[in-house]
This record gives sequence, C-alpha cells and structure tokens, in this order.
Amino acid sequence: MLTVTDLSKRHPNAVRAVFDELAFAVAAGEIVALVGESGVGKSTLLNCIAGLEPADRGAILIGREARDIVRLDEAARAALRAASIGFVFQAFHVLPTLTVAQNIAVPLLLSGLAPGEHQARIEALLARVGLAGFAQRWPPSLSGGELQRVAIARALVHRPALILADEPTGNLDPRTADEVLALLLERVREEHASALIVTHSQHVAQRCDRILTLTPDGLQ
Amino acid sequence: MTRLAWWLIRAQFMTRRTATALSMLAIALGVALGYAIHLINTAALADFSQAMKSVQGEPDAVLAAKDSAGRVPLALINEIARDPAVAIVAPVIETRVRVDHAAIHSGAPVKLIGLDIFSAAAVMPKLLPRQDSGGAGMFEDGVHASPALLARLQLKVGAGVTLTRGAARWRTRIVGDLPAARPDDLLLVADIAWVQARFGPPDAVSEGRLRLMPGTRLASWLETWTARLPAGLTLRAAADDTQRVSNISRAYRVNLNVLALVALLTGAFLVFATQLTAVAQRSTQFALLGVLGLSPRMRLLQVLFEGLAIGVPGAALGLALGYGLALAFTRVMGGDLGGGFFSGSTPVIAARLLPSLSFFALGCAASLAGALYPAWLNRVQPLAQALKTGFAQRPPAVHGLYARPRRSVLIASALLPLAALGLTRLPALDGLPLAGYGAIALVLVLGIAVAPLLTQIVFGAVARRALSAPQRVAVQNIVQAPLMAQVAASGLIVSFALTVSMVTMVSSFRLAVDQWLDAVLPAPLYVRSKGMPLPQELLAALERGAAPFARIERSAHGALSLDPQRPAVVLLVREMRRADAAARLPFTGPVVAVATDRVPVWISEPMQELYRLAPGQTLRLPLLGREVDTVIGGVWRDYSRQFGAVVIASDDYIALGGQFEVSDLALWPRRGEEAAAKAWLAAHAAGYGLDIAESSEIRALSLSIFDKSFAVTYALEAAAMLIGLFGLAVTLAASVWLRARELATLSALGFDRAMLTRAVMFEGALIAGIGLGLGLACGIAIGAILTHVVNPQAFHWRMELTVPWLQVLLGAALTLAAGIAASRFAARLATRLPAAQVLASAQ
Repeated sequence: MLTVTDLSKRHPNAVRAVFDELAFAVAAGEIVALVGESGVGKSTLLNCIAGLEPADRGAILIGREARDIVRLDEAARAALRAASIGFVFQAFHVLPTLTVAQNIAVPLLLSGLAPGEHQARIEALLARVGLAGFAQRWPPSLSGGELQRVAIARALVHRPALILADEPTGNLDPRTADEVLALLLERVREEHASALIVTHSQHVAQRCDRILTLTPDGLQ
Repeated sequence: MTRLAWWLIRAQFMTRRTATALSMLAIALGVALGYAIHLINTAALADFSQAMKSVQGEPDAVLAAKDSAGRVPLALINEIARDPAVAIVAPVIETRVRVDHAAIHSGAPVKLIGLDIFSAAAVMPKLLPRQDSGGAGMFEDGVHASPALLARLQLKVGAGVTLTRGAARWRTRIVGDLPAARPDDLLLVADIAWVQARFGPPDAVSEGRLRLMPGTRLASWLETWTARLPAGLTLRAAADDTQRVSNISRAYRVNLNVLALVALLTGAFLVFATQLTAVAQRSTQFALLGVLGLSPRMRLLQVLFEGLAIGVPGAALGLALGYGLALAFTRVMGGDLGGGFFSGSTPVIAARLLPSLSFFALGCAASLAGALYPAWLNRVQPLAQALKTGFAQRPPAVHGLYARPRRSVLIASALLPLAALGLTRLPALDGLPLAGYGAIALVLVLGIAVAPLLTQIVFGAVARRALSAPQRVAVQNIVQAPLMAQVAASGLIVSFALTVSMVTMVSSFRLAVDQWLDAVLPAPLYVRSKGMPLPQELLAALERGAAPFARIERSAHGALSLDPQRPAVVLLVREMRRADAAARLPFTGPVVAVATDRVPVWISEPMQELYRLAPGQTLRLPLLGREVDTVIGGVWRDYSRQFGAVVIASDDYIALGGQFEVSDLALWPRRGEEAAAKAWLAAHAAGYGLDIAESSEIRALSLSIFDKSFAVTYALEAAAMLIGLFGLAVTLAASVWLRARELATLSALGFDRAMLTRAVMFEGALIAGIGLGLGLACGIAIGAILTHVVNPQAFHWRMELTVPWLQVLLGAALTLAAGIAASRFAARLATRLPAAQVLASAQ
C-alpha cells in the first residue's frame, strides 16, 4: 500500500540532505510508527509521501494501483490524495465554519462519491467514532477529543488505502489520547488500510505493528 | 465539488457579513452610476433626436446657410429641385417670434415655421395642420399652433394673436392646430409665403430639406453639389445632425463614465481587500483542503467563485439602483445630468436587454478582477507551511519580486513618470483625452509601486532609532508583513489621490470661473432676449435721455457652422471699438494689432483648441452669405460656450453689410439711481418675456450650476475615501488577526493591553501616513493632469492649477484620525480574548 524507494530530499541551500536513499514499505492493513528526534525530517518525509513537498530522487508508490506520487504533477497529486490518502493531524484541523457532517463529507466530495451515499456513510462512521448525534454540531462547540474523532472519521470516510497521521494524540490529555489512539487503530484495521503514524510518544509507537526510527543516518 | 464550493461561500458570507455587504455595495455603486449615465444619455439622445425629427422631418439632406443670419436663395432651391436625383425639396423658413394675446404673453420666443404644404407632406408630415381645420385651403391667412403652445397660452383655435420680432409686428389669427406635433413642442406653423411676406427674407428661405430618388448615393450626390454651392452655404447629410447632437455631450458623458469606472474600480479594490484578507484568514483551512485533495485549480477557482458571489448580487443591485437613479436624475436634472446640453427635456428611461447585460457583466468582471490576485495567492500557498504556520505573505512563486524590490521599483520609478509625462503630451484621440486618462492610471500605478520602497526607506530609518517597545513591534511588523501593509496603503493612496485630484481640479476650475465671471460681467445689470431681437420700443426708450443709465453696451448673437460634424460656433456681435478689445474681453495672451483695412475678430479659447487657431492668423468666416477673411486679434477665456465663440465689433459687422439686431444689453445705471434703473427696466420690459438680472444674480446662478454639475463628483470623492478607509480597516484587522498568537505571546511576555493597542494604532498611523503622503503627491499630479490635459482636451477650457491646501490637509488629518480609529478597533478585536486562550488555540 505504501512503498518508498531510494527517497532523497535536500532543502535548497542546505549543507546536508534531510534524508538520503530511504527505503521502506507499509503493507495493507499494517500500522507503522515513525519516530525520531526533532528536526530529523519526520514531517518532511510525511510531506513528501503526501506530495506536499517535492522529493529530489526516489519513488513513493501509493495505493492498490501503486501510483508514484513523486512523478505526478500538482493536480494529479491532489487527486491521488483525495482518492487514496486520509490525514489525521495533531492540531485536528477541523473547518470551524462547516458542521461536523460537512467536515466529514469533504473527502467524499473531493473523491467524487455520489452525494446520495454521503449521509448513510457519515452517520455510520460518526456512530463508530462515538459521535452519534453530532452531525449538525459546529466544531467550536466540541472538545479536543471530539474534534480528533471528527478528524479520524474524515480521514476514513472515503476508505483510503493509506492513513498518514502526524502526532494524532499530541494535543490531547493522556486518557483522551488513549481513547482516540485506540479508535484510530481499530478503525484503520477495520478498513484494512495502511497507516504511517509520526509520533514522539513511545506509548503510541508501542501500540503500532512496527516502528521505524528516522535518524540523521537514515532509517533504523 | 459545487456543493463544497457553495458551503465555503456560505460560510465566508456568514462570517464576514459587513465586509461582503460593503464590497457588494461598492460594486453596485459603480454599476449603478455607469448604467444610470447610459440610460439617461440614451434616452436623452433618443428624445432629442425624435424632437429634431418632429420639426425637421426625415429628409436625406439639408441645405442651409453656414451663418444663422444667412439665407438660401430660392433660385438655388429651384435649381436643385430640377436635379433628376432629387425626389423633392421642401423649402422652410424658421424664425422666432413673441406671441401675445390680449394680456397673455408667450414669455420665451416661439419658433415660427413657414412651410410649403405639398413638399412638407412628404418630408415633414408631423408639421401638417389638421385636415379638417381649414376652410378654403390647407393654410389659411393665419398660423397653426401646436397643442403645447395652445395650452401654454390658454388659447383655442380662432383666437387672435400678435406676433412680434424686433421691429416687425403682425396681428393674425390661430386658424388651426398641429395634431401630430410632440406634446412638448412650442410651435407655430404657417404657409411659407405668409411668413416670408411678414418676416422676410424675400426670395430666400432658411433651409431646403431634400429627399433623393431611391438608389441615389447620398455621399457622392452631396460631394457633387457641395462643389457647386455658393460661398456661405452648406449641404449636409441629415444623419449628421443626430451624430452632432451626440457629439455635443460626448466628452461630458465620457468624463462621467470615467468617474463611474473609478467607482467600479474602487469596488474591485474592496473585493480585492476583502478576498485577500479572507484568503489570509482562511489560509490554514484552504491548506487543509489542499492536503485533503482540493486541486490547485479549484483553490484558485474557489476564491474567484467567492468574488463572483459578491459581483453577481452587487451587479444586479447596481442595475436596479442605476435604473432608479436614472429616473430620479431625469426628474431633477433633466436629460443632461446637469451638463446643460439638452436642457428642458425629460426623456423616458427605458432599460434594454443587451446594455443591461453588458453592465451586469462589467460588475461581475470588476468583482472577479478584484478576486484574481487573492485567488492566485491562494493557488500558490505552500500547503505544508500554510497548514503549520498560516498565511505565507511571500509565497515561493513571488520571492523573486520581493528579492530585489529596490531595483524593480527604481526602474518603475524612473520609467512610469516618463511614460506618464509622454502621455500628457499626446493630443486628444477622436476628441477624447484618452492619453490623459492613461497618464492618470500610470501615476496611480507609480504611487502603489513606490509604496514598498518608501516603506523600506522610512521604516528602515525609523527602525535604527531608539523606539519604545510598542513602536518597535509596529515598525517590525510593517517591515515583516509588506503585503498587508502595502494593500492597506494602496487603498489609501488611490482613494486619497483621487480625492485630492478632484478637489484640486474642481477648486482650480471654480476659482477660474469666479475670476472669469468678474471679467465678463462688468455691468451691474443685464437684459437678454431669448433667441430674437430685443423689442424696438425698449431700445428706443433707452436712447432717450430719461432712461437712468450712464452707459449701455449692446450685443447680438448668431451662429456660424464651420464644420458640419461639430456644433455651430457662437457669433457675438458687440458694440465695442477695436482699440478697446483688450479692456473688454478676458484675453489669455497678447492682443494682436490688426491693420485698419482688415476685419479683426477675437476667438474664444475653446474655438482656438477645437479649430487649432492662433492670434494673427487669417480666419475665413461664413458671414452674411459669403466667406469673409478676418484676422484673429486674440484669444479670450470663455467657460460658457464649450464649442467656441467669436467676437466681432458691431461697426465691422455693419460695415460688412450685416444687420445689428440687438438681443443683449449690458447696463450701467447712473450713480445713485440703481433702484430707479431696475424699476425703469421692469416697467419697460414688462410683457416682452425678457431676462433681466443683476450681475450678482448671474454670478450666483452660474456658480450654483457649476456646483450642481460637480455634485456627482463630490459624492464619488466621499465614496472613494470611505472605501479607502474601509480597505485600511479590513486589512489592518486581518493583519492583526493573523498575528493574534504573536500578540498573545507579547502579552505573555509582559505587554499589557494598552501597549498592544498602542502598537497596533502606531502601525495603523504609519501605514496611513505613507498612504496619505503618496496619495497627496499622486493627487496633485493627477489634479495637474486633469486641469492641464483632460479639461482642455475634453472641454477646451484652460485654467491655473490651484491646490486648496487647507481642504486637502484637513482631509488628510481626518483620514489619519479615522485610520488610527480603525487601528484601535482592530487592536481591540485582537486583544479581547485572553492571551492564554489564544496561545492554547489550534490556530
């Protein structure tokens, strides 16, 4: 579901590469934690995988069709993200001016799913993330944990092949973090998606299937 | 996708109601003004054209004298009628008479038209009398009156009336009416021989109106006959008359349309400021949508959709408002928008589909244009960075522009003024000052382009000084956030520049008109008849010693057609000696001495501009049925007759064979007898329908007409300033909003709310100061272009540039105060949330 080969990235005018010739894969249904010290390039790697930053060399194959996001133009990268990738962020990033249901519907609209199927899918997913009855609520009225549940529902609603999560529990208290993480892992496994979770938390990493450690010398 | 776009548009409108509503209103205002001007002008021209056709009929060509005192010989009419290419020639005599019935007077003179019934039936059917009104013949011994005139005089068919023109006076009867005349036509029609016998001229007519045989090429026929015409006569295509009417008001219309365009552009600027700040404030949201898969094209289109969502209702509202304005304006000002071109007419306003759609599209296009740059900025925002840190004011794609601002701005600073200067040297294009308008646009672009460099220089210098903490924060923010500062300053630069320029131009013009009125109204009292000679009784009474006047100056008016495409030039025959010319007219330059055997004339400034003439030149004038070589003795200032005027001394005119039919009097009462003089005039002029006015009354009326014609300009100035201030407030608020976390951090570090407010207010004051400074410089430059280029080219008037410093500086001070108040409001918005809450918030 995600295959990274010989991936290299150097920021303009930087003395050394952020990473050089990285290679790893995440199988379908597998959840991998990506850990490493601050500044080592975890977010840059995640951005490259999502096609938000260009890689200098290498390939990143995503989804069942194994499309190489590095070789795609900007519009095609956006289309691939819309169809095959779900995102969960530390800062939730739930749109405050749309209702909970509308927030979750965004990936469905972007992936072109017929509107008739939206409501049933959103309501089912809201029930599974523990937010039944929240469809018409506005984000500013929700707690941090509830917002992250909305974000998880949004990441899964279009049944992507790959979930990218950047510190998904970083803004939550330990008990809520635990609940949210459990929910995320459970739903990812249920959807048989692949997931790459960037985290500083050993507790989060330990609950994943595998841990990749990014160091200045590469992946360990 | 459409659903998502709609959700985002709705959310945007709900969260930014005031800014969105004001942007819509600004677009509506621009569309409304342009549309109203179009509707009024179209209706006025149609009305005028119909009125002309009602009297003139629908001939193919018109044969007339170039001089209003000239005549067309009947022999020539007969010769043309024998041409096989001519179907019919309708001879016409037109004159103006006063109509009296017992104690009822017509007041203003009435047009009396003499017709040949048979030819008129073919060419001017609307002037035919009622078929059953006559007895033995179509035209009896008497006149036929239009319904409007009968109503005005409260007379019925059969009433006896006295017709007076100068010394000629005839008693006659109204023998019928004119059923097809327009409801507002004040007309008398009679048999041409009847009119000729009473008011002349013998063996000649005023005009011949011609219909050609089908298949005749009008242009070549005109060319052939024009070459054979005696001097002093002109043969013109009747269609040219409509064009000439349109030309009369064209420059005025274009000027108003430019003002409407300015209003529309300020609307576009408001959309720009609103959308830019909206993009900045939602940069994280757009970045998230981009990450989730919203394509770059759709991120661009979304902002354009939002611009369109402002433009569509704004333009629709503008059409409705424009229609209402057109109705209101025609009721209040008539069809000429205060320009004085078609006075008296109240045209019918009618909306047509194609022009309406064009103005609607223009409003939408302006709104889209305003949203274009914000949309592009949204398109190029780096997603990962925007998601993490918010709006990037310097996206990677525009780094190059900011990397070497000094060089590009320095080049622009050198080239743009040269280009603007070059444009001001170009002549009018097709009678319109298009290059002048181009120069104005370049000055505004220069002002906006120079703003970042000036900001750098000024704030670079300020930053090197010891500053208080709030001042340092303000200065650093302007240096670090150039886009927002530039947008805020740009709004003020443009709006203040336009305001200063219009105030300067109007003030210069008003002062010039004021001084000119001093020069042209030397006498305390004036008497004027309306288009006909003054009554002989009055003139005779003035000659008698009992009249309480120390000095009397007589003058007569005529018209000379020098170019069929242009309105006629006014001929002023004045009782003055050649040697007195310098003292009697407000000359703009030296007066040339003319040899005693030559005929001197003195031309007005508009005539000099229109016909490219100069003092000392020989000018061939169509006078008294022939071409007369005159010498231009000088050029005098005239703000009254836009299409030119020429003065000739009455002695010279009489020597050339002209008849000095006095129509105007300037009167100097004897010392101490001012009141008696007025009473004398009132008694002697009673019943003649004359205008009698003191010079102070004429001056007050002239200045009031001046102020009325610039009323739209004042309203637009106010709108421009409000929009500029609103742009400043919106961008400052957005800039502060974007730095909410930074301000919260400062608060956590020890800044109290007052210090933060002071920092933001200081920032607002600095930006407003830059905007006002550049706006003032640009405004004076634009004022100079309007005064020295646009006015002479569009209206053929010249004047000195006078900057009303007190008004301008007061306006700047008020704007600065308003800008600081807007900053204070922005600061209060930014600091109302507890710092801890802001720091803890996700965005």
